[in-house]
Amino acid sequence: MSEEMKAQSQPQELDAVLMAVLANRFDGIVREMTNTLLRSGRSAIINTARDFSCSIVTADDQLLSAVEGLPIHVVGNQLLTRSMSRIHKNIQEGDAFLHNDPYDGNTHHADHSILVPVFHEGEHLFTAVAKAHQADCGNSQPTTYAGYASDIYEEGAINYPCVRIQQDYEDVDDIIRMSKRRIRVPEQWYGDYLAALGAARIGERRIKEVAEKYGADMLKQFVNEWFDYSARMTAAEIKKLPAAVLHGESRHDPVQSMEDGIPLNVRVEIQPDEGKIHIHLEDNIDCIPAGYNLSEATALASGVTGVFNQFKMKIPYNEGTFRQVQVHLRKGSIAGIPEHPSSASVATTNVADRIINMTQAAFADLGDGYGLAEGAIGQGPGMAVISGRDERLENAPYVNQVYLSSSGGPGSYTADGWAFYGIPVCAGLMYRDSIEIDEQKYPIFVKESRILPDSEGAGKFRGAPAGRVVYGPTQRQMNVVYAADGIQNPPRGVLGGQDGSAQYIAKVATDGSVTELTASGNVEIQPGEFIVNETNGGGGYSAPAERDAARVAHDVQEGYVSVDRARNVYLVEGDFDKDGRFIVDVEKTNALRKNAGGN
Amino acid sequence: MDYRIAVDTGGTFTDVVVADNQGRLFFDKALTTHDRMYRGASEALGYIAQQIGTDLDSLISNSSLFIYGTTRATNAIVENKTATTAFLTTEGHPDVLVIKEGGKHDPFDFTTDYPEPYVPKRLTYEIGGRIGAEGQVISELNEDDVREAIRRAKDAEVEAIAVCLLWSITNPTHELRVREIIEEEWPGVPVTLSHELNPTIREYRRASSATIDASLKPLMQAHLTAIQEDLTGAGFRGELVIVTSFGGALHVNEVVEQPIFTVGSGPSMAPVAAKTYGEGELNHGNIIVCDSGGTTFDVSLIEDMRIKTTRETWLGPRYTGHITGLSSVEVTSVGAGGGSIAWIDEGGLLRVGPHSAGSEPGPVAYGKGGELPTVTDAATVLGYFDPDHFLGGRMTLDAVGAEAAIQKYIADPLGIDTKKAAWAILAVANEAMIGAVRNISINQGVDTRECIYVAGGGAGPLNAVMVAKELGCRQVLIPKTVAALSATGAHFADLVAEVSASRYQHSDHFNFEQAQEVLDHLNQRLDRFAERLPEGLATDGKRSYGIEARYPFQVWDLEVDLEESDIQDEAGLATLVERFHEVHERNFAIREPGQGVEWNSWKARLTAPLDAPNLKGQSLSKAGGEPSTRVKQVYFDETGLVDVNVYDGSTLPVGYRIEGPAIVEEPTSTIVLPPHSVAEVTELGSLIVDLV
Repeated sequence: MSEEMKAQSQPQELDAVLMAVLANRFDGIVREMTNTLLRSGRSAIINTARDFSCSIVTADDQLLSAVEGLPIHVVGNQLLTRSMSRIHKNIQEGDAFLHNDPYDGNTHHADHSILVPVFHEGEHLFTAVAKAHQADCGNSQPTTYAGYASDIYEEGAINYPCVRIQQDYEDVDDIIRMSKRRIRVPEQWYGDYLAALGAARIGERRIKEVAEKYGADMLKQFVNEWFDYSARMTAAEIKKLPAAVLHGESRHDPVQSMEDGIPLNVRVEIQPDEGKIHIHLEDNIDCIPAGYNLSEATALASGVTGVFNQFKMKIPYNEGTFRQVQVHLRKGSIAGIPEHPSSASVATTNVADRIINMTQAAFADLGDGYGLAEGAIGQGPGMAVISGRDERLENAPYVNQVYLSSSGGPGSYTADGWAFYGIPVCAGLMYRDSIEIDEQKYPIFVKESRILPDSEGAGKFRGAPAGRVVYGPTQRQMNVVYAADGIQNPPRGVLGGQDGSAQYIAKVATDGSVTELTASGNVEIQPGEFIVNETNGGGGYSAPAERDAARVAHDVQEGYVSVDRARNVYLVEGDFDKDGRFIVDVEKTNALRKNAGGN
Repeated sequence: MDYRIAVDTGGTFTDVVVADNQGRLFFDKALTTHDRMYRGASEALGYIAQQIGTDLDSLISNSSLFIYGTTRATNAIVENKTATTAFLTTEGHPDVLVIKEGGKHDPFDFTTDYPEPYVPKRLTYEIGGRIGAEGQVISELNEDDVREAIRRAKDAEVEAIAVCLLWSITNPTHELRVREIIEEEWPGVPVTLSHELNPTIREYRRASSATIDASLKPLMQAHLTAIQEDLTGAGFRGELVIVTSFGGALHVNEVVEQPIFTVGSGPSMAPVAAKTYGEGELNHGNIIVCDSGGTTFDVSLIEDMRIKTTRETWLGPRYTGHITGLSSVEVTSVGAGGGSIAWIDEGGLLRVGPHSAGSEPGPVAYGKGGELPTVTDAATVLGYFDPDHFLGGRMTLDAVGAEAAIQKYIADPLGIDTKKAAWAILAVANEAMIGAVRNISINQGVDTRECIYVAGGGAGPLNAVMVAKELGCRQVLIPKTVAALSATGAHFADLVAEVSASRYQHSDHFNFEQAQEVLDHLNQRLDRFAERLPEGLATDGKRSYGIEARYPFQVWDLEVDLEESDIQDEAGLATLVERFHEVHERNFAIREPGQGVEWNSWKARLTAPLDAPNLKGQSLSKAGGEPSTRVKQVYFDETGLVDVNVYDGSTLPVGYRIEGPAIVEEPTSTIVLPPHSVAEVTELGSLIVDLV
């Protein structure tokens, strides 16, 4: 582009039009980063399940765009760049940093974040961030979720406190060599590192083009106005809510050192006049000697997510939004800011999932039309880290997190739960493994994967049903490491909606005998043996007897709900016609519902 | 034989383009007749016969080729009018079509029900028997399950059966045996086997392809048979070919067996036309093709003279729709057309779409009861459309109403004047289009600055030059046939057959013998295809090959050209591997030198030209005088209100230069030339706009 053309096309003022243009442009860049990482990643947890997120943060540490990212990954990304600027005083173009330190802004050790500072005319303007969950991170056991770890030493992961991994666009080989020695299946890790780096470099390239076109001043002005806009949008949503103080409680199933489970609570202050919501997590217990403590990033993210799940309007989430939704944390708390050496290995799922659930459910106290039931929780064997050796590849080692389980999303006041929901922190965003891809890449045999009837939390809007997965190794022993939840305390329904079904984990021996397993474990499975996982159904919203009978009939004919359950729980009578359709008997149904005292 | 006929039937209109043996094109349109396609087409053909100076009977009986493009299969799916279909799946895996591959657009949205599967669970039957990843039989097929499923499907009055068993791509014996049993138990019911239709890994994609295909068989077989009958009845003695979703055509007999190939074929011909004109008029091989009508803006891409294809085409939205799973022209669609509604959100930001006023009530300017301002209204307020001569004078626009709506809903809330507001609506709509173009080009490593931009569709040339400029394109080409780009494209389509096979190979332990086997097998299948073609149709076929390659442990492939010499020796293989490193770096910004490359999917494609019309036949005579013009006031951001020349497109002589700002009016489209653009009329009557 000639200088003359550039001057011509460089707009002089930021108006509403240009703001929309630039917002779309930055979102477009993040989408392009996301596509790059998905397509070029090596481990199935990245290239198939999409357990990663891309984002752009301003040079002064404000999250700008994280479109399509997993909220648990991106809400705290400004903490990452903050530590980059604090630690490194000589940031240069061509640098890239690897950061996974949960004590200084990252989510947990298994999420490797690649930070690429983006320069325009010598000035650091933005940072492109690609954060991806690794198949392995060097833990003492072959899992990326070390619930067993009483501290960082027992956890065993390599901690990268924001280290320079590229300089002048070349790898810092010391870091690469060190990592390859300590991470299982090093080629897989290196390929995934390259994929994340490629995504961040693509982001860098595109941001530079935008800066070239619009200039640094214009972009700075845009960023400020965009945050103001986002804050206004968020405030407008909050103003629709009544003023209230809500309380939520939850209890994670027992884990090591916590025989009665982990008690959790939240206090939500809604201030519609100011367009603000405060989430208070300070009253929670201190860090525990197990891997379940949250990191600051995941504590912030789970609080924000519980609130965002209420909003009807699609709102960009960024620094502007966080001005209106503030999460208050305490240092040294399990649901706050962890202190070294407490382990935060499982910080992205279990306790975070509980916080999202209890926060979104607390809003239901405002009455019908508000809040959500609770969604499925805990990563059982259907989402476990599997490892072993593959005879097809000359006994090469393998390690990866599978993502096979279907599980139940929560009912809301307008819709049934989402069927392939996963857990609250990903809320349906992640992709499901292809059984054929898993069986080709790893020596695994998936015998069964189905949705379970009569497992949904019944309600006017029901939770989604649970799933059942059965798998085992094909030739040699396989290690299955998982950290589940929801066996003793399954997801709750709200406002008369019922709870979802409990999680169930078992091992089937070669003779067919079944042994039930504990909520978390490191299990050896031999060829001919299988591990079984039945996930949670989602909680229901409002009383099942209020459910539209046509919805019940559809559930029956599709096999989600049995005829008995339709009669006994939903109070709907009917019969199958010759085509296999379930036809409601309106008279009998009305009578049933009337007798039950309904209207 | 003197003529070729191309017919493109849409939901509302049927476009017909006839070519004579000198390459002259004749165009007309009629309302689509859904009960019997030929009635509507013959009406338009009657008008065309008049233009040519002959009669309908003689036109039909002197035509050698009838190229038929239809949205019937797509519409049947959208309107839920496909056949009731049963789905046979591997025992233990009944929810393949329910769970799909997961994914959701918005993590915070809990107001949407989970989508229904393509085949309901009550018509899904589990079949015992399991093949493993290496093709080994883990357990034998349970034939009783198959018979029981057929009996129950019969009772439920299904009309077609789809079969997708795990790993049928590595060992098809179970699927083949299932079909034998179906033929025994229920002769004549249409069946689709997943490994035959789409031999790809990933069970959901194969199952989705198979169920969609089976569900279309009864309907499309009846539809195509009726057309054959009607054509024969009208005296047609040539060949009937059908436009497919991968930008080519197939003989009708092939499509009857695999009707899924017509799904999504609607937008596949615009790039064929664009390629023809791009090559013929500018000799440029990288083209962005934008086809824009009332509700959507479709973008496709031509790179190095090749139309870009994808295997990720979804019916409906990604994740929540249904994937076709087959190779088809890659099209990115955004809901940004003339009817897209402009609105102000709660944060005070101007938005355009995704809601559309459609054709009923349509934009405010149509005067049919529309109240909300649209892109068409903005263009009217800016003065681009002539209210008295819209659509060649068939419609009058209500410019006052359009201005009032923009004032009320956009200008007043934003505190700006209506012209500025109208410009802003156009600019935001343009941005959605720019995003769609970037998605298909830059996201895949194609630099828009090295592309020309070809506009198509009634609304295409309105903002083509503005969008192209923003994308950094050097030139915009607006073909003379812009409004009927698809039907025109059909005349230039080749017969294209693609076959694929799965066979794992790794560059570090490459088996040359096996590779040759795969290629031989693919060639044999193409031989069979060629043998089945009627004599004289597409004799001059060219074959090309490709593999879908990746680094070890990646699961998403990049398509790389394969030359036969690549698999002859180590040197050839090294070339192939280097070709992959390059493609990877271009797409994903990194390469891993020294790393091996693996692939599983092999493709072979037969492309046989159908004796396309001579482009030069469309040439204008050079003896043109001065064009007919008038002066009008229009608005651009840069100039404000400004007097510009409005040209009557039909009077423009070859070589004539127009400097923007200016407007060119064609009977069914309006071309806007903003300031700093210069257009020139080509020999074929197209406009080439220079931007650099």
